[in-house]
Amino acid sequence: MLSKEGADFTKVLKRYDIEQQVSLTPEEMAEKMLPTDEVFKKVAEEVLHMKFKTVGPTVMEALKVRDPLDIINNGLVAGMECVAKLYAEHVYFLPEIMMAAKTMEIGIAIAEKQVPGGRESKGTVIMHAAEGDPHDIGKNIAAVMVRSSGYNVIDMGRDVPIVDFIAKVEETKPLFASGTALMTTTMSAFPAEAKILQEKGINIPLMGCGGAVNREYANSYDLGIYSEKAPQTPLIAEKIRQGYDWKRIREEWDSIVGGQ
Amino acid sequence: MAVTRYTKMAYDNADDLVMGSAKHPVTYGFGLKLGAGYVVPEINYAPRPGTEKDPERLRKEYVDYITKDVLDRAITVGFPNVQLETEWVSQMNQAKLSAPVVAGQEEMCEKYHEEYGLNCGTRQTIPDQREADHGLRPGMDSAHAYPEKFFECCDIACENGADNLSVESVGGKEFADYAVTNGDIVAFLFGVGYLGSIDMTYIWEQMVDICKKNHTTPGGDTNCSGANVSMFMAGGMLDQDVQRTFSAVTRAISAARTLCAWECGALGPDKDCGYEGPIVKAIAGKPTTQEGKNCQCAHCDLQGNLIAQCCDLWSNESVEYHPEFGGTSVQCWFGSIGYESALMNTAIQLKQEKVLRDLYMYADRYRGPEAYILAYDHAFEIGQVIADNGNDLYLRSKAAGLKAAEIMLKGYESKELGLTTKQLETLQDIHKKLSALPDDTDKFVEWAIKEYKDTVPNFNMKNYDL
Repeated sequence: MLSKEGADFTKVLKRYDIEQQVSLTPEEMAEKMLPTDEVFKKVAEEVLHMKFKTVGPTVMEALKVRDPLDIINNGLVAGMECVAKLYAEHVYFLPEIMMAAKTMEIGIAIAEKQVPGGRESKGTVIMHAAEGDPHDIGKNIAAVMVRSSGYNVIDMGRDVPIVDFIAKVEETKPLFASGTALMTTTMSAFPAEAKILQEKGINIPLMGCGGAVNREYANSYDLGIYSEKAPQTPLIAEKIRQGYDWKRIREEWDSIVGGQ
Repeated sequence: MAVTRYTKMAYDNADDLVMGSAKHPVTYGFGLKLGAGYVVPEINYAPRPGTEKDPERLRKEYVDYITKDVLDRAITVGFPNVQLETEWVSQMNQAKLSAPVVAGQEEMCEKYHEEYGLNCGTRQTIPDQREADHGLRPGMDSAHAYPEKFFECCDIACENGADNLSVESVGGKEFADYAVTNGDIVAFLFGVGYLGSIDMTYIWEQMVDICKKNHTTPGGDTNCSGANVSMFMAGGMLDQDVQRTFSAVTRAISAARTLCAWECGALGPDKDCGYEGPIVKAIAGKPTTQEGKNCQCAHCDLQGNLIAQCCDLWSNESVEYHPEFGGTSVQCWFGSIGYESALMNTAIQLKQEKVLRDLYMYADRYRGPEAYILAYDHAFEIGQVIADNGNDLYLRSKAAGLKAAEIMLKGYESKELGLTTKQLETLQDIHKKLSALPDDTDKFVEWAIKEYKDTVPNFNMKNYDL
């Protein structure tokens, strides 16, 4: 092997990951974001620290003194919002998001049993991987993030036939639907689906995502909108919930997903 | 075909690993010799969306446009060798779509070989559409019959003239997806290192038989569906969904799996996207295809130079067919890999291949953890522990993962390899978890089944004969 003596590898490469790393701990960052109410704070901390084995008893204890809906919104969801912030700041990473979401869902399942008439979600979202496409890891991650943001996610899985997708949309009338494709030969399912939906008078946004799909492609067919990364999807969902249609999402896309 | 596990290294020491030469060269196609003293560019491409809807349009796209463009450019620039890789789009599991493409490419290669003396041939990489939830074995998937279609594709490729049969198999993918998103290295070890190896052995025993019947060379496989998912989710310097120390360990484990195809009698070269190539070449001495800096049309990795260090074929990964300023996309990217191969071959001819190898290697050695463990000296060390435990699919995978972790920890302690705090914490956790695993395979498998049967979506023991 050649000798590297005297070689200065900073002239060859720069480790931005080391230089840019955040030195704050999750606890230090979350301190200012956690609820001030001690009961809600304790519940939120269960999510923040991904304690899926103890979140149940903690929520049960909280239910003795607080309203179940408040525990969900001011405790569990608030904890998840801290996690999302830590993720955006590169303090938490994907495994933490997945485990925190699992913790939150356990807590919500317990608390919502005591909500009279059940808990209202922000809306229904259908997610699927395109017909012929077996790759769904991106869709699974996005599903966790959308569900964590308070939506009812219907996950249809991968390699979903177009007819099944259309039938599910007609049946459940979602706020919007999203599809992922990792192959250029499967992403053509999205314009085909959009065309059928329009023919049926269903004008919901149809989000195109996945490795094969780019913004230009997703914007090339009516109803089509784009999400490049999983964390962008809840941001776009919020705008749709506020009444944005697919045209306005496209127009304001950069500002909606800004910073992601 | 009997399975012979590797328990000894093909090479005596890491310094013998060089580009363009493998201990066991392979000859096929029209004058192609792989690993026989020179590096061959391997061009890979995808048809334009929509062409797959009609057999004649697809044949024309692959044969009259893509293949002809590539072979013409070889003559134009003066490249003596080229391998074409056709990664079948999923629709090609129908013979009416795939057979004319395979036969047409073969015919075109023969024509250019006879007319110009161009050494060329085709690798046909069939799609593995099998899904764990429906079943990986014939008779299990009543919805799509994907396992049956898998072997039908092997027949179609070989019967219509494929020179090299390869695949990116998906055994263990359900575990890889779970492991990567949840940061669970033990799940990756069990799913990819153990279960994935069982599946790869199962399919390749049959693939080798099909190849033999048709005089096709069985090439190789890759853990694209596992270690590459991990690597690309780890991403670049500031994309840290997955820690790059985690990704590096998954790469080492994947080598123990990729080796299975060759243990079943496949001859190489293996698949370009298997960045574990330096490790498996060190063990088996069969030619390896790699991709890096000249595959920016498809992938951006952190070892673009390093990974060329001991390749036998040099690939662009894949590019969609379309026009560019310099010609069609396949011509442009073939030019890119062709000139890089020419540089490597010049180094070989001037007996400077070890110098060029080291230049490539040092250019990325410290760029990140995965590059660090794939540097040829470290790749050799990982290969050694796999061979030392060669007869046991679990133990060799565990040994590979542990060795990779030890190499990185040692590199960090000696201040050779920089790590972020999070990368280091993840690495220490991985080392602790792998070290704590039992040395008894049966005990581990029994534990892992209980641990993951209700946790990993779509885990079905019948997929792996358990």
